[in-house]
Amino acid sequence: MLVRLNRRALLAGTAAALAAPAILRAQAEPIRFGALNPLTGAGGPYGPSMRKAIEGVIEAVNNAGGINGRRVQLFGEDTQTNPDAAVRAARKLIDVDRVIAIMGTWASAVTTAVAPLCWESRTMLFTVSGADSITQLPHRGFIIRTQPNSTLQITKLAEFLGERGARNIFILAAQTPFAEPNRVILEREMPKYGGKVAGQVIYDRDKTVFRSEVDQALRARPDYIFLNGYLPDVTILLRELFRAGWTGGKVAPAYAVNQRLLDSLPAEVTNGTVTWAPSPDVESPAFKRLQTLLGTDDPDPYSCQTNDHASLACLAAAIAPAITGEGLRVSVRTVSQGGGERVTDVVEGLRLLKDGRKIDYAGSSGACDFTDTGDILTCPFRYEVAEGGKLRTLRIA
Amino acid sequence: MENYLVAMAVFAGLYGLMALGLNVIWGMAGMINLGLVGFMAVGAYTSALLTVRHATWPMPLGILAAVIVTATAGALVARLTAKMKGDYLAIVTLGFSEVVRIIASNEIRFTNGTDGISAIPGPWRGQVAPATFNLIFLGITALAVLVVYLICQRIRHSPYGRVLRAIRDDDQVTAVAGKPVLRFKTEAFAVGAAITGFAGALYGHYNAYIAPEGFVPLITIYIVLALTAGGTGTNAGAVIGAALVVAFMEGTRFVVAEIPGLAAVQVAAVREFLIATLLIVLLRFRPQGLFPERHIRHRLPGAS
Repeated sequence: MLVRLNRRALLAGTAAALAAPAILRAQAEPIRFGALNPLTGAGGPYGPSMRKAIEGVIEAVNNAGGINGRRVQLFGEDTQTNPDAAVRAARKLIDVDRVIAIMGTWASAVTTAVAPLCWESRTMLFTVSGADSITQLPHRGFIIRTQPNSTLQITKLAEFLGERGARNIFILAAQTPFAEPNRVILEREMPKYGGKVAGQVIYDRDKTVFRSEVDQALRARPDYIFLNGYLPDVTILLRELFRAGWTGGKVAPAYAVNQRLLDSLPAEVTNGTVTWAPSPDVESPAFKRLQTLLGTDDPDPYSCQTNDHASLACLAAAIAPAITGEGLRVSVRTVSQGGGERVTDVVEGLRLLKDGRKIDYAGSSGACDFTDTGDILTCPFRYEVAEGGKLRTLRIA
Repeated sequence: MENYLVAMAVFAGLYGLMALGLNVIWGMAGMINLGLVGFMAVGAYTSALLTVRHATWPMPLGILAAVIVTATAGALVARLTAKMKGDYLAIVTLGFSEVVRIIASNEIRFTNGTDGISAIPGPWRGQVAPATFNLIFLGITALAVLVVYLICQRIRHSPYGRVLRAIRDDDQVTAVAGKPVLRFKTEAFAVGAAITGFAGALYGHYNAYIAPEGFVPLITIYIVLALTAGGTGTNAGAVIGAALVVAFMEGTRFVVAEIPGLAAVQVAAVREFLIATLLIVLLRFRPQGLFPERHIRHRLPGAS
């Protein structure tokens, strides 16, 4: 039978629908999150798996019935690792898709460009960018950063070197924006372990000979030399230190002394070089789940972090006073820290929150506890030593 | 949605300004300038440094300074490259833009290096709602495009513009006709650079943040694409071309997202692929652009 609707019936029906409890209507309206990752450009090697790590969380949450009965909808855009393109993409996410959180910006310039849009429109921004300046922006709490900033990285290095008995450290640093800040932090931290920084030489990365820099370093009679550069220049530096007969300690960031470097130099040149880097929490069940999700034994740190971004956003949304960026801002630290049941899985966390329990989320990237300015309090670091052309893990802590 | 459209219109306007600048240098005077983004950076940095980092000049003064500095930089580059043409000029100007970017990255005390400059003021930013700020800036951009467009039209239709076109088509003949070719080239380059610097300054005040990484040759390519699409040599073509490029770049977001079964990274790749295809198709089938330059013919005196 064909139901004939006259105007009066239609009006009555509409009025009844509007008068129904708001929760009934709200069920149809999904919670909107945005993923803004470097799918192309310099960040291209990382972006796709960062995105998959987010999608995995959203899918798990939706399969388990959503957040308080509301589905989660993910809108994705590409930053092209370019601030100009990223700003346009973020505009689309904020103004068209009306997302309440943006997750996974990678390059520091991209994050800094997108950040004002986010705090002006009260959208939460979760980022993996490392530049110290990001959390110093006037973001009013709308930025959460899971990547350790350089202060944390160098503090951890100082602690590690102190334990190894380093007392007099000389720095050979490539000319980068972080060279000088890193020295300042190391100089501040080393005295805590009875050590000091003997000096620093900043060199031009593109040079092919560093003989005079190495001589300057040796003249200071250090016991450790910190090679704060990148793979190509650190390769040359290690060779020249070997030629100069250096037998003291050598330390470098893990992205500079990696397997590729070890393959390109004889083992006797690289033996004893120690490296350090922020590490995912490889013992965490969240990390093991991410291994399965991404189909790799070794998920990169950024994917681990975006996996946590999505989990934190979902958990915060579950207890937020309102499903808005503002709501996430006030509730994110309630689920990430401050005691409560330790949770590594978003679905389990949502269940506990529903039961009115307090949770403390820790994910694949670490404890996920944040300072008031949005920086991560601590995270695991991996320390390795080169032996016979291979890296041996000293410890992860 | 409205807010997004307004923001994209602002981007289109700023790209349009730069396309107008490129049109003076390339379209009218025939000098290939692939260093456009360098002038944009000089303009953006000049205004940002003077209004927030090293001084607190009012915005209009910062923008004026940006125009003057980029005009000077343009004249200087024109003089340095006086003997070059075609590909060689293209390479050197491309080099110029990279030099600007590398200086901005490394002169940390002066430019704050790769951290960039944030909190650049914008007209009434913070005092009005973000959507209102967007609208205000759209008004300013539209006015800027209109004024610059009229100036460029004036140049194009004046005897001055005729000399520029003559230089473009054959500078030796123009020199034989007694025109000081180098002076004209220098001036055209300075004017074009100044317009680009003006757009760069507005860009900085709109986005509130600039960093060296934002000034990559990709933006030059977008502007060249805009001018080629619109029609090299015509001012209206430059403005409409820029609007089309932004509309196309943004439109692909929505179209490609509708294709089922594509992973995120494939969506991104298809978008870039489409933009590249557009350029190739355009150059293959309509190299003169959508609004090609029409030769202004004046009736011969005495002809009926």
